[in-house]
Amino acid sequence: MLVVENLSKTYEDGTRALRNVSFEVKDGEFLVIIGLSGSGKSTLLRCINRLIEPTEGRILWDGEDVTAADSAHLREIRRKIGMIFQHFNLVKRSSVLKNVLAGRLGYTNPIWSIINRFPTEDIELAYEALRQVGIEEKADKRADELSGGQQQRVGIARALVQDPKMILADEPVASLDPVLAHSILGYLEKMNQERKITVLCSLHYLDLVQKYATSVIGLRDGQVVYRGTREDIRRMTDREFKDIYGEEAERVSAGTLTGGRENG
Amino acid sequence: MAETKGKNTGRSLLHALFSLILPGLGQIILGEIQRGIILMSSIVSMGLIFIWRIELAGRHEPNFLDAFHKSLELKPVFISLVIIGLIAIWILNALDAYLHTKKGRRGGFNIFFLVIVVFFILGWEISEINPYKMITKAPEALTPLSRVLWPWKAAIAHKMETVSARAAVLSPCGENPPGRPKEVPGKPYIYVEPTCGELSKLDKNNKIIEGTTLTVFGKNFKPNSEVNLWWIDPIGNEFRLRQRGEYVVTKTDSQGNFKIKIIMPYRLMPPSAEGKQIHHVEARQQTPTGAVVINDPLKLTISRMIETIFMGMMATIFGIFFAIPISFLAARNLMSGSWITLTIYYMTRTVLNIVRSIEPLIWALIAVVWVGLGPFAGIIALSFHSVAALGKLYSEAIESIDPGPIEAIQATGATHLQTIMYAVVPQMIPPFVSFSIYRWDINVRMSTVIGLVGGGGIGFLLVQYIRLLDYRAAGIAVWFIALTVAMLDYVSAEIRRRFV
Repeated sequence: MLVVENLSKTYEDGTRALRNVSFEVKDGEFLVIIGLSGSGKSTLLRCINRLIEPTEGRILWDGEDVTAADSAHLREIRRKIGMIFQHFNLVKRSSVLKNVLAGRLGYTNPIWSIINRFPTEDIELAYEALRQVGIEEKADKRADELSGGQQQRVGIARALVQDPKMILADEPVASLDPVLAHSILGYLEKMNQERKITVLCSLHYLDLVQKYATSVIGLRDGQVVYRGTREDIRRMTDREFKDIYGEEAERVSAGTLTGGRENG
Repeated sequence: MAETKGKNTGRSLLHALFSLILPGLGQIILGEIQRGIILMSSIVSMGLIFIWRIELAGRHEPNFLDAFHKSLELKPVFISLVIIGLIAIWILNALDAYLHTKKGRRGGFNIFFLVIVVFFILGWEISEINPYKMITKAPEALTPLSRVLWPWKAAIAHKMETVSARAAVLSPCGENPPGRPKEVPGKPYIYVEPTCGELSKLDKNNKIIEGTTLTVFGKNFKPNSEVNLWWIDPIGNEFRLRQRGEYVVTKTDSQGNFKIKIIMPYRLMPPSAEGKQIHHVEARQQTPTGAVVINDPLKLTISRMIETIFMGMMATIFGIFFAIPISFLAARNLMSGSWITLTIYYMTRTVLNIVRSIEPLIWALIAVVWVGLGPFAGIIALSFHSVAALGKLYSEAIESIDPGPIEAIQATGATHLQTIMYAVVPQMIPPFVSFSIYRWDINVRMSTVIGLVGGGGIGFLLVQYIRLLDYRAAGIAVWFIALTVAMLDYVSAEIRRRFV
C-alpha cells in the first residue's frame, strides 16, 4: 500500500509543480495519472522514488517512510520500484543485455558490478526478462539498434529484473504509435495481473486509460482534480474530462494521435 | 508633378555630386550607410595603396610626379589598369547615388564586382605574382623537385671496396729523385715517369703556368674498370686530380693495366714549405662488393620519425591526463550549481580559450628557451595545446550527455559510483577515445612543424637537410612524414569509426 500525504514540490525557479497531493494506492492496483503536459505527472512519479526530492509531505510505502529514508535505505526501496520512461532512458551504446542487467545493480556487490561482473543468476534473470518481453534474440545488440517499441521493451525488462513490487511508468507510450502502445501497456497489465505488481502510470489518451486503469487520478496545475475507479472512468463525461484537460481540450480517440507528445 | 520631378532631379544630382566629391558620401546621406561606408573605405584604401606602390616603384625620384612617370615606365599595364578601374568605380559610385535618388532603384552589385577586380590587380602587383618567371624558371626547380619526389638513391648504398697504389714525385726536381716503388706481385702497383717535376703555378696575371707532365703506369688493377687519380701533398692533404676542370678518370684494359698522362697540379704551398718536397700520386679503384648499407639520411629519418611519433604520443597522453579533470570544471551542466562553480567554469573556459588560441609553434618557441632544443620542448608545446583543445572537446562531450540514463540507473537503486560507471562513462568513452585519437593524429602532424623551430623530431632534421640543400635527404624525410601521417590518419579514422 502506497500512501501519499500532502505532497508538494516547488522547483528552484519558483514553479509549483505539486500542491498538497494526497492519494492512496492499494497493492496490485493499476493507477493511471492523467493530466495535461506540465500538470505535474512526471514530478509526482519521480517524487515517489525520490529522483526528485519533494519539498513537503510524506510518502509511505508498506509502512516505510520513503521521504525520511537515508541514502542506503532509499536504494533498498528504489530497487523494489521499477521505473519506465517515455524516452526509454537506455544507455544507447551499451548492449541490450547490459542495459537489462543494470536493473540488478541495486542487488549486486558494487565493486564487482563496477568491473562489469554479474552473478550467473542475474544474467539468467536478464535473459528470462528479455524472453518475457519477446526480444531475447536482441540481447547482444546495441540498444540504439533497436526500434522504439523494442527499446521500451528493454526498459520493461530492466524494471522486471529488479523483481519490483511497484512499477512507475512515466508516459511509457507517448513516444510510440497506438498499436505499440497497446503492446507495451499489455506487458504492464500482464505484470500487474500475474505478479500482482502495483503499477503507477501516466497516460495521455483517454481510451488507453479506459482500457487499462483500475483507478485514476487527474492532475491539473499540480493539484488532484479527479479521482475515479475503473467504473468511473468508463462513465467519464466530457465535462469531467475538460475539468482535467482544460476547456479547450477535446475528447480525442487514441487512434488519431500518434506519439511525440512531451510529458509534463 | 513636374515640379516634384524637377526637384527630384536636382536632389539626385546633388547626391551624385556628393559621391563625386567623396565616394560613398551620397549613399550615406541617402541612408544606405553600410553601402556608403564600404564604397568609401574601399576607394580610399585603394587610392592609398596605389600611391604607396607608385612611391615604392619611383622611390629614387625627387617628387611624386617623377615617381609616377617612373612607375608608369616600369609597370605600364598595372598603373593604367588601376587608373581605369578607379575612375570607373568613381563614376559608377556617383551614378549609383544618382539613380538611387532619381528612380528609387537600389544599386546592384556591379560596382562591388569592379571593386574586387581592382583589389585583385593591386594584390597581383603587391604580392609580386609573376607567371612568366614561374614558367621560364621551371627547369631549375626540376632537379630539387625530382630529388625530393624520388630520393631513394640517397637512402641506400652498396659497400665499396677501395684498392689503391701510390708513387712518389719530387718537386721541384733535384738530386736523388725517388725511384719506382717496389712491386709486390699480385698487388696493384703504379709508377710515374719522370719521378720529379714542377707543380703548376700562377703568373703575375693569375694565369696558370702548367707544370710538368707525368705519365702514370698502373698494373694489377681490376680489369676494365674506372681508376681515379688523387694527389697527396707533403703534409698529407688528399685531393682528387682535375685536369682543366675535369676529374682525371681512366679505365684499365683487360689485363688490369692503365697508362695516363697528368699535369702536375697547382698547390698553394706556404712559404715555409718552400724547397724540395715529396708529393705522391695515388690511383684508386672503387668497386661495389654487393653488400647493401643503409645511408645516414635513411637511418636518421627513421629514428627521428619514431621520435616524432612518440613525441605526439607523449604530448597526447599528458594532454589527456590534464584535460580530463579540467574538462569537468569546464562543463556547464556540472558547474551551473552555484555562482562559485559558475565562476570557476568561466575562468576555466577563458584560460582554455586563451591557451588554445596560441599556436603550438609559439609554445614551442617559448619551450625551446625554457628547456632547450630537442623533443622535450616539442612535447611541452604540444601538451599545452592538447590540454586546451582536449579540455574543450571533453567538456563539450560531458555537456552533451543524455541525463535520461542517469535517472534510470539511479531509479534501480544503484550507488553513485555505479551510476557513474553505468550511465555516465558509457556515454563518455566514445567521444573521449575519438577525440584523443584524433588529437594524437594532430600532434604527430604538428610535431613535424614543431621541429622546424627546434622542437626535435623529424621537422628538426628536415630543416637541416633543406638548409644544406640536400634535397634527396630532405626528400626521404618528406616521404616518411607523408607516409606516417597518411597511416595515422587512416588508423585514427578507423578507430574513431568503430567507437562512435
